[in-house]
Amino acid sequence: MTAFLEVEELSKSFGSEPVLDRLSFFVRPKDTLSILGRSGSGKTTLLKVIAGLLSADCGRIRLSGQDLQDRPPQQRRTVYLTQETLLFPHLDVEENVAFGLRLRRRPEKEIWVVVQTLLESLELADHRRKMPQQLSGGQRQRVAFGRALAVKPALLLLDEPFSSLDAETRASMQQLFQRIAREQGMTALFVTHSLKEALLMGDAIALLHGGRLKTYASEREFIEDPQSGVGAEVSFWRSIEGAQE
Amino acid sequence: MKRAERHRAPATTLVALFAVLPIVYLALLSVTRTGAPPRVLPAEWRLDAWRFLLSGRGEMLRSLWVSLALSAAVALSSAPLGFVAARYVAFHRHRRLLLFFAYMPFVLSPVILGTCMLFFYIRAGLSGSLAGVFLAQTVFTFGFSIVFFLSFWNREKLDLEDLVATLGGTRPQFYRLVLLPISRDALRTGMFQIFLLSWFQYGLTILIGEGGVRTLPVLVYAHVAEANPLFAAAAGMLLVLPPLALLAMTRRPPLGSL
Amino acid sequence: MSSTAKARGGRVGLAVFLAIAVFPASGGLLYALLYSLGGVGLLSRGWTLQAWIRVLTGSEFWRSLLFSSTVAAEVVLISVALGLSLALSLGERLQRTLGTLLHVPLTVPNVVAAFLTFQLLAGAGLMSRVAVRVGAIPDTARFPSLVQEPWGIGIVLAHVLLATPFLVLLFAALARSERVSAFVELASTLGANHTQTLRRVVLPLLLRQALPSLVLLFIAILGSYDIPLLLGVQSPQMLSVLVVRKNGIYDLAQKPEAYSVAILYSVFTLLLLLRVIPLQGRRREAS
Repeated sequence: MTAFLEVEELSKSFGSEPVLDRLSFFVRPKDTLSILGRSGSGKTTLLKVIAGLLSADCGRIRLSGQDLQDRPPQQRRTVYLTQETLLFPHLDVEENVAFGLRLRRRPEKEIWVVVQTLLESLELADHRRKMPQQLSGGQRQRVAFGRALAVKPALLLLDEPFSSLDAETRASMQQLFQRIAREQGMTALFVTHSLKEALLMGDAIALLHGGRLKTYASEREFIEDPQSGVGAEVSFWRSIEGAQE
Repeated sequence: MKRAERHRAPATTLVALFAVLPIVYLALLSVTRTGAPPRVLPAEWRLDAWRFLLSGRGEMLRSLWVSLALSAAVALSSAPLGFVAARYVAFHRHRRLLLFFAYMPFVLSPVILGTCMLFFYIRAGLSGSLAGVFLAQTVFTFGFSIVFFLSFWNREKLDLEDLVATLGGTRPQFYRLVLLPISRDALRTGMFQIFLLSWFQYGLTILIGEGGVRTLPVLVYAHVAEANPLFAAAAGMLLVLPPLALLAMTRRPPLGSL
Repeated sequence: MSSTAKARGGRVGLAVFLAIAVFPASGGLLYALLYSLGGVGLLSRGWTLQAWIRVLTGSEFWRSLLFSSTVAAEVVLISVALGLSLALSLGERLQRTLGTLLHVPLTVPNVVAAFLTFQLLAGAGLMSRVAVRVGAIPDTARFPSLVQEPWGIGIVLAHVLLATPFLVLLFAALARSERVSAFVELASTLGANHTQTLRRVVLPLLLRQALPSLVLLFIAILGSYDIPLLLGVQSPQMLSVLVVRKNGIYDLAQKPEAYSVAILYSVFTLLLLLRVIPLQGRRREAS
C-alpha cells in the first residue's frame, strides 16, 4: 500500500538546540500512527511543523503526493488538536463545530446537516446551545473534535488530546475516536506519553526520542524493544503478581 | 473572627459616608453661598451657576462639549493603537525593554514630559490648539493603553490564531470572526479608562493648550482662581456626573485614574 | 506563509509603538538635555554646564525633590495603612453595595479633590468654622491653615482621599485572587494565632502582590501637579510645579534650569520604573 503522509529528513532546532533531527517516517491512508514520547521530546514541535504553524529548517512533507512545506496552514487540510482544548469562548457548541464551514461560506443547509450529524455522533446533541465554560473536560474535547471533523481534514494531528481527562472519560473518548476514525476513514498522527494509549490507538507505533523517530514494523517488535519501556512495565506487573502469590 | 465582626458595623457606615461625602459636599457648594466666617451652614441657596449653565450662555456648556469631544477622540484613537502595539510588545523577545518604553510616557509627570516636548508642538504650530492637546493626550494615554491591553495578549490568543489558520481561516477572517468578538469587552473597558484619564487631565491641557483649550478641569481652576466657588463647584459637578452616571448604570465600573 | 503575515502585523505594531510611545518621549527628553546644556534654544550661547551647576549646587531642586518624595511616601504609607485595615475588616462586604460605593470617590478628579480640600481646610474653610463653633479656637483667623503651608498637609490629605478607596478595592481584589482566606485557615491549622496569621501570612501575601501598584502610586504622586498647584506654596514646591514655573516665567535664563530639573526628575522616576517592571513580570508568572 502506498504512503499517504511522507516525512523525509525533517529537522528543526530552536537556537542551537536541535529538537527534530533528520526525522523520516510515513503513514498509510486511513491509518493512525501512535507516536510515543516523553514531555520535551519534540512531539508538539513535530505536529506544529506538519500543520504549518512552525517552519522546518529542512526536510520534506508530502500529503497524498503533494509537497506541503511551502503551503500556509490554511491550505494544508490538516487539523491540530491539543490537550488544552481551545474552544472559541464567544461561540456556543454548535457554532464552534460549524466554525470551519462558516469560514468556507458553505450553504446554511449543508452546515446544518453536517453539524447536526456530528453532534449526534459525538453525543453532544443535548448540549448544542451551551457555551464552552459550561462544558466538562470530555465534552470540550468532543466539541474540538467535532470542529476538526466538520472541515473533513485529510490529516488529523492529535497532541495528547485525552491526557487531562479522568480515566473513565478517557477510555470512552478513546473508543469514540476509534469508532469515528473508522467510520470516516481518517488518517491521523496520535501523540501520547502513555504506553497503553499508544498501543491502543495506533495501527502503527513509533517512538520519538532525542529528536529521532523510531518506527516499528510490528507490535511485537515495539514490545521487545527495551527503549519502548514495555518490558519494564511488564516486569513491574509480574513482580506484583509474584509478591502476592 | 468574633472580634472583627464587632468592628464591622460602624466601619461599614463610616466607609460609606467617607465614600459619598466629597460629592455631596461638592454638590452643596454648587448650589449655596457660604456666609461670612465663622458661620458653618450655608448662608443661602444660589442656583446661579446651574441656571447659567442651562441657559446656554457663558462657557460652561461649551467646555462640556469640548471636554466630551476631546476625551472621546483620545479614547477612540489611543485604545485601538495601544491594542495593536500591545500585541507587538507582549510577544517580543525583549518584552521588558519595550515595556519600559511603553511605561515612559505614562509614568513621567505629564506636565514635565509636556514641558520637554513643548518646543515640538510650538514648531508644528500645534500649541494652543485643540489638535495639539488631542495629540499630547494621545501620547500620554498611549502608554497606559499598551500596559492595559498587555494582559489581553496571552498564549491563548496566539493559539486561537493558529487554530483558525488550520481550520482554513484567513487572517481577516480571524480578525472579524474571532478577535473582534473576544476583545470587545476589553476594548470597551480600556476605552472608558482612557476617556477618564483624558477627562480628568488638567496640567497637560493647560500647558499644550496654553490656556486656550478650555476643558472642564481648566474651567474649574479658572473659577477657583477667580474666587468663585459656586461656579467652580458646578463645573466640578459636570466633571463628576458622567463617570458617576456610568457607575450607576454598570455597577461594575472600570477603575479610574490614579 | 503565515509567518510573513504575522511579521506584517508585527510591523504595524512596531511602527505605532515607535511613533507614539518611543519617539515623542525620548525626543522630548533629548531636547531637554540639549537645551539644559546650552546646545539648542533661542538664547543658546554654546555649550555650558551653568544651568546644571546652578541646579545641583543650589538648594531649590534638592528641597523640591525631598519635599516631593516625602509627600509621596507619606501618602503611600497612610493610604496603605487605611486601605489594608479597611479591606481586611470589611471583608466580603466589599463585594456588595459597599464595594460599588467605594467606586464613587474614583470619579473625583484631582482638580476637584484639590478644590474640595481647599474649601475644607483653608483659613476660613469649613474645618476652621467648625472649630470656632465648638469653641476650640476663638475666631477663624487663629486656625492653623492646613493648605498653602510648607508642610504640604493639604496636598497629602487630598492625595490620601483619592488613593485610599482605590487601595481598599485593590487589597480586597488581591485577597480574593490570592485566596488569602484559604491560607489563613491553613495557618490556623498549623497553630498560628490571630496576630501571627496577620503578620506572617496576610500582610506579606497582599503587600508582595500590591508592591508594583504601590511603587506606581508613589511615582504618580511624586510627579503630581494639579493638587500642589492649588494647595502648595512657592517654596518648597513639588517637582512638576517647579519645572512648569521655571519654564514659564519671563526670565529666560531660568529655562535651561527647568530642563535640567526635568531631566533629573525623569532619571529618578525611570530608575524607579526599572525596579517595577521585573516585579510585574513576577506577578504575571505567579498568576
